[in-house]
Amino acid sequence: MDNASCTGIVTDIQRFSVHDGFGIRTSVFLKGCNMRCAWCHNPETISFEPELLLDPAKCIGCGQCDQGCYSGARRLVGREMSAEKVMREVLMDRAYYEGGGGMTLTGGEPSCQSDFARGLMQLARQEGIHTAIETNMSLPVDLLFPVLSLCDLLLCDVKLWDEQAHQKWTGVGNRLIRSNIQAADELNIPIVVRTPLVAGVNDEPEQIGAIAQFAAGLKNLLAYELLPYHALGTAKLIEGASPQQRFEAPDKQRILRLAQAAREARVPVRVAGVALEGV
Amino acid sequence: MAITDQERYRALKQTKLNHTREKCAQQGYMDADDYGSVPLPDGYKFVPIPPDGDFYGYAGWAENFEAFIDNHPVYVDRLELLCGRWCDKLTAYRKPDTDVPLEQRAFPGDRFPYDELLAPVYLYGLDTAIGSDTHFCSDYRIGLRLGWGGFLKAIRQGRVRHAQDPEKRAFYDAEEKTVLAIQRWIARHIAEIKRLLVAEQDPALRISLQKMLECNRNVIEKPASSFLEACQYMAWFNSVSRMYDRDGAGCDLDQILLPYYEKDIERGVLTRDEARFILANLLLVDTHYYQLSGCDLDGNDMTNELSYLTLEAAHELNIAANLTVRYHRNIDPDFFRQAVAYNFNDRNGWPRFSGHEGMMKYLNNQGIDQATALERIAVGCGWSAVPGRELPLNDLVKINCARVFEVALNEMMLSAAEAPKDVYYPAYEPSLERLSHLFKKHLARAVDGLAKCLEFHLSHMHQVMPELVMNLQMRHCIEEGLNVSQCAELYTLCVDGVGLGTVADSFAAIEQRVVVEKKLSWEQLFHALRTNFKDDERTRLMLKNSERYCQGGSLGDKWAEAVTQDFTALVRAQPMSEGKQLVPGWFSWSKTIHFGQQVGATPNGRGAYEPLTHGANPTPGFRRDGAPTALANGIAMVQPGYGNAAPLQIEFDPKISAEEGGIERVAQLIKGHLDQGGTLININVLDRDVLMQAHENPDSHPDLVVRVTGFTAYFCTLSPEFRQLVVDRFLDGL
Repeated sequence: MDNASCTGIVTDIQRFSVHDGFGIRTSVFLKGCNMRCAWCHNPETISFEPELLLDPAKCIGCGQCDQGCYSGARRLVGREMSAEKVMREVLMDRAYYEGGGGMTLTGGEPSCQSDFARGLMQLARQEGIHTAIETNMSLPVDLLFPVLSLCDLLLCDVKLWDEQAHQKWTGVGNRLIRSNIQAADELNIPIVVRTPLVAGVNDEPEQIGAIAQFAAGLKNLLAYELLPYHALGTAKLIEGASPQQRFEAPDKQRILRLAQAAREARVPVRVAGVALEGV
Repeated sequence: MAITDQERYRALKQTKLNHTREKCAQQGYMDADDYGSVPLPDGYKFVPIPPDGDFYGYAGWAENFEAFIDNHPVYVDRLELLCGRWCDKLTAYRKPDTDVPLEQRAFPGDRFPYDELLAPVYLYGLDTAIGSDTHFCSDYRIGLRLGWGGFLKAIRQGRVRHAQDPEKRAFYDAEEKTVLAIQRWIARHIAEIKRLLVAEQDPALRISLQKMLECNRNVIEKPASSFLEACQYMAWFNSVSRMYDRDGAGCDLDQILLPYYEKDIERGVLTRDEARFILANLLLVDTHYYQLSGCDLDGNDMTNELSYLTLEAAHELNIAANLTVRYHRNIDPDFFRQAVAYNFNDRNGWPRFSGHEGMMKYLNNQGIDQATALERIAVGCGWSAVPGRELPLNDLVKINCARVFEVALNEMMLSAAEAPKDVYYPAYEPSLERLSHLFKKHLARAVDGLAKCLEFHLSHMHQVMPELVMNLQMRHCIEEGLNVSQCAELYTLCVDGVGLGTVADSFAAIEQRVVVEKKLSWEQLFHALRTNFKDDERTRLMLKNSERYCQGGSLGDKWAEAVTQDFTALVRAQPMSEGKQLVPGWFSWSKTIHFGQQVGATPNGRGAYEPLTHGANPTPGFRRDGAPTALANGIAMVQPGYGNAAPLQIEFDPKISAEEGGIERVAQLIKGHLDQGGTLININVLDRDVLMQAHENPDSHPDLVVRVTGFTAYFCTLSPEFRQLVVDRFLDGL
């Protein structure tokens, strides 16, 4: 199958995405993830199957759910799309990609749909569009690196430093993640290491400091970015799934303390896209 | 200790806020541009001649303007360097034409009847120009070259040349009276400056008042010879043209003032700081529309030091300002970035951005050359004009396209209902093709109706409401003894469509739900509309959530392009009398509420009498992600292509600028849209919490300025309906 006709399951395509890479970007959210992060803010991207996102407040009680819901109370997320079709939407914003923008594959974990992700990256490259990926780096090399090798920017997560804690909170250990990141450093593409800050999970200076030290060892590191938890995921109800666990959002003082801890590793630190000095 | 510049800026801003509060108390909700006016003093009263306001023609306007300005208060603030400010306008005293309820404007219909023109006006909800004022742009270069004394000389010479023509004699007499009245007003200010000078103790303010005095002693008669005098002349012209009939068209400020600035800097009589303060003062006097930057015929950037200084001046005051940066591909990138950044730093809706490429499409009109197209600058709420040469009547002439659509749909459905049931009559069958055909038929009639109104207005403008102030800075008027309506070089007359998004989404909803999916029959749709979706919210939501305009490649986008093509073709094909041509645009101003009240429920799920879509913008909620790029692309596709605007109105959360590369992203968005042929971008950067607090209690944020459509206004001066429009757009942009 050629790149254009290969298909995958897409959760959403978000244009004018400004949090996932340089410039103006189109983020393509691929559906399905191998991790089960307790704080996930995109729980609708975890399953590989299309599913219904519920918003009971919008229900008008028409009783005709089976004939289609127009109120937004039941919204199907996840649709099979060809790479070519995705690219048509990505190309709609071509006029705005000048200055570093482009396409970001995210999810879910994009490399779970490795062939599709690779097809998308190749099509983007053929069009001269900057490519980025947001990945948890936890998949085997033979799935992950065919995609990474087509990226111009790597946004990768190290969610916790402690192996066991990582296993506990995400369902996956981090040993492979670390080695994958180090291997990816050899691809000589800019890397942003990111950590979601979740109170009671990883909001300790030792945790953050250790990850920052690790990041400092990468020769292509662009920045180490802290992403404070927000409870957006808990508002998303998925039919047949348990509601997301709610965590405390770290307060600003704590965020600053953790950012300072990270800076001790002599890496450029950002908090949710903002350089530390501006926080 | 002498007062510092910073203290003066702060004091001026505070005075401005106090004035806004007082004006609100005096006038209630204003729902219009701030205009820079000051509150009416206690005891102020003007009685027109005759008292019912039934004045018209050269003599009537001159006599009233003379009485009006002789009665108008003077305004000198010892903290300022320029003087003169207006608080009342003569047009407010015109006798309203109560026979024409659709029109807000005054026009002596008893003297110049136009009943035969009104049928399409009522049927299609037309906003005609009949009885309207200004909406063209005079050329300040003429005034700066001649000065008030020079105007008088030219008027008197003209009167001698045309002594045998009674109408022209009346014209010159009226113009002479007008200029003499303006000079008397300036003289009263000079007396007030002298009075203040005697009492002034602060050494810095004494120097400043002395400068103000000397400047006005020159400006009252002679052409401007310094930067300060040029700005003072402009301030006078701005004030008197507002007082006469609300004119707000400015100029290419950084170009027009550059020779004065450079000369004064070279002579060592002006510093950058002083120039900045004078510019701030000019912006304070009135919210006239000024263009900054742009390029010459060879594409060379024309950004200069005054371009920067004007932005800095606006920043120092941080009040309502109508500055437009003309973006082009070679624009100074630092200046462009700074201009974008001010939107986020100051959050007062300035500057706007116009697109050189889109505006140069003015070339597509007959007889327009490159130099003329380049001269055409953004000088109005959503419009442009060639200074001193063009009479476009922009923003005055509008078609309620949603009403046209409703008329077409009604005709189709009612004729189908009345069709004989026992015989098959294909012509009566409702169909998308038939609806589209009827829409075009009625749109053509609406355009024709408007064209006739325009011709009527132009043929009577000099008899009804001559432009005695603006004529002074128009080419040929003083030379020929003619009102601008009789001797403009260019009659590229505006026709704006309103409700593009409403119409496009309505066509799209019908195509998707009735024609393709067959979820609804035509009769079910029509019933739902006629009952305003009563007890049928599901149908409303089904229609509302069809493929909408600005989603990108949607049915709504397809119909928006098709409607634009039809609208453009019909407007362009409309025959006009010699030398006149119609120019299409999509600009609603704030008529979305007024026009919405003329239209029942529409197939896009809009409830009866709710506002129509704004300008060229889509229906709020057009995409779940509200992507500004989708918005910008959609609007770039519906540019009519003759130089008039189909503006992009966009709202941003200030957080975007805090992120690394945030300003650059917005700059890229602006570039992307304008490079695709976009004409005008209006930006609001609003903090959600502040906006919602101000919506709840307008007095909680008296300094919050928003760009409502093309104009800016203090949020607290807007009525709840207008505030809601801004809030809806903003929430949609998040």
